[in-house]
Amino acid sequence: MRNWLRQLDDLLRGRKTTPELLAKGQMELPLRTFVSLAVVLGLVYGFFMGWYAVFSRDPACYVQVLASMIKLPALFLLTLVVTFPSLYVFNALVGCRLSFAETLRLLVGAVVVNVAVAASLATILGFFTLSTTSYAFMILLNVVLLGVSGIVALGFLLHTLRRLAAPPPVIPPTVTSVKAGDEGEPQETNPAQREPGPMDQIPWDVPDQALGQARSIFRIWVVIYALVGAQMGWLLRPFIGCPNLPFTWFRQREGNFFQAVVHQIQQLLGAG
Amino acid sequence: MRAVLGHTDEFLRASGPFAPTPSVRRPTWWLPVMILGFAPIYGGMMGSYQLDSPERILQVIYAAVKMPLLLLVTSLLCLPGFFVLNTVLGLRDDFRDALQAILAGQAGLSVALASLAPLTRFWYCSTLDYRAALLFNAGMLTLAAIAGQVVMFRSYRVLIRRHHYHRVMLYAWLALYAFVGMQMGWVLRPFVGAPHIPVTFFRTEPFSNAYVVIAQLIVGWS
Repeated sequence: MRNWLRQLDDLLRGRKTTPELLAKGQMELPLRTFVSLAVVLGLVYGFFMGWYAVFSRDPACYVQVLASMIKLPALFLLTLVVTFPSLYVFNALVGCRLSFAETLRLLVGAVVVNVAVAASLATILGFFTLSTTSYAFMILLNVVLLGVSGIVALGFLLHTLRRLAAPPPVIPPTVTSVKAGDEGEPQETNPAQREPGPMDQIPWDVPDQALGQARSIFRIWVVIYALVGAQMGWLLRPFIGCPNLPFTWFRQREGNFFQAVVHQIQQLLGAG
Repeated sequence: MRAVLGHTDEFLRASGPFAPTPSVRRPTWWLPVMILGFAPIYGGMMGSYQLDSPERILQVIYAAVKMPLLLLVTSLLCLPGFFVLNTVLGLRDDFRDALQAILAGQAGLSVALASLAPLTRFWYCSTLDYRAALLFNAGMLTLAAIAGQVVMFRSYRVLIRRHHYHRVMLYAWLALYAFVGMQMGWVLRPFVGAPHIPVTFFRTEPFSNAYVVIAQLIVGWS
């Protein structure tokens, strides 16, 4: 347990993805530990997500809590399982030097960052669940919280890809990305003593071509993962559980996420 | 007592142990003590809207208890997210200072509130209109929140100089705190205590969501 926490802490602090480690091709993310961490952290967020069915229904629906706890980590990990082969192939086509296992480790790392941020925001979700009856508000709040954690994870992924694309020069400079404040006052701490975070800018010059490559891989990954993730979320519904409907593990399969979005827009325009 | 006021004065002037320089050793327990000491003064005054029966004294006590609760429980709910976001942005080394900065902001808010308490009492003496009392309190809270942000920014300026991502975290904290704080204030109602409604710690109606209520007021959304 303590080892897991230390590993998670190292990942979040960027110790697992320092440019020096990445240049050596060492992605020290043991898959077993990090997949377990993704499951546990997903369970935490799912637990608070499922509370809504306990407080909004009479009698309380505890099975929905269990369902949400299982579905949330499943959403992230199943999407990764489905998309991983294509992500790897496009990654190799663009010319990234990540091996098969390293690509998987990096993506699992990004998923763990995503669920870790989501789990840390779950206290806020729990508080609102306790005091809210509106289903629409709970959906919006979950979308916002998962959206924020998703953006943080994307930032982590993009910065790691950039570091991979631009390995450090042979003698790395000691200056990190710490910038002087707007006032231009002298810095108090020696920037060399600061441990660089996972999202700090690379302190050395990076060729535009390398950055362009990292950006292309990132874009392809995000599009594929987001499209499959949206449909996976649609398949695994209900996550929160509409209070007017009886509990079901899965909703009846009706079209896909994208048809539903088009349908909603059509309805909105028709109604307007 | 003189020591307490002396420390508070140093805190407001950002001098002595509260000077925003990293080398100064400051007593960490002092900031929560200031929140617990000063916030109830305003809370009590806020609850003294209508003191026409012995039962209404209870409202003073309830409001005095709820005011620091509002500040501290909101912080506790936002802290896990703030901690993880600080870590992911590579700011963990400064987390202790960031925590002190947000506590200083709330201590500043509490002191400002306590200083505004006589004004609120004066307003209650001048008018008995409940809506006017609510609006006046909202105004005083806004004023104190601005004072709190000034204090918080004073500490954060040093951090932003160390790393520009601290600016992102400052705004993230303000957004989280305001979002949760508003709902916390709504859940902890009543603070002023509407006339003709018996005094209770929480309203007897089930909990509701402040944002849904506002949306319903504006567009009739439910």
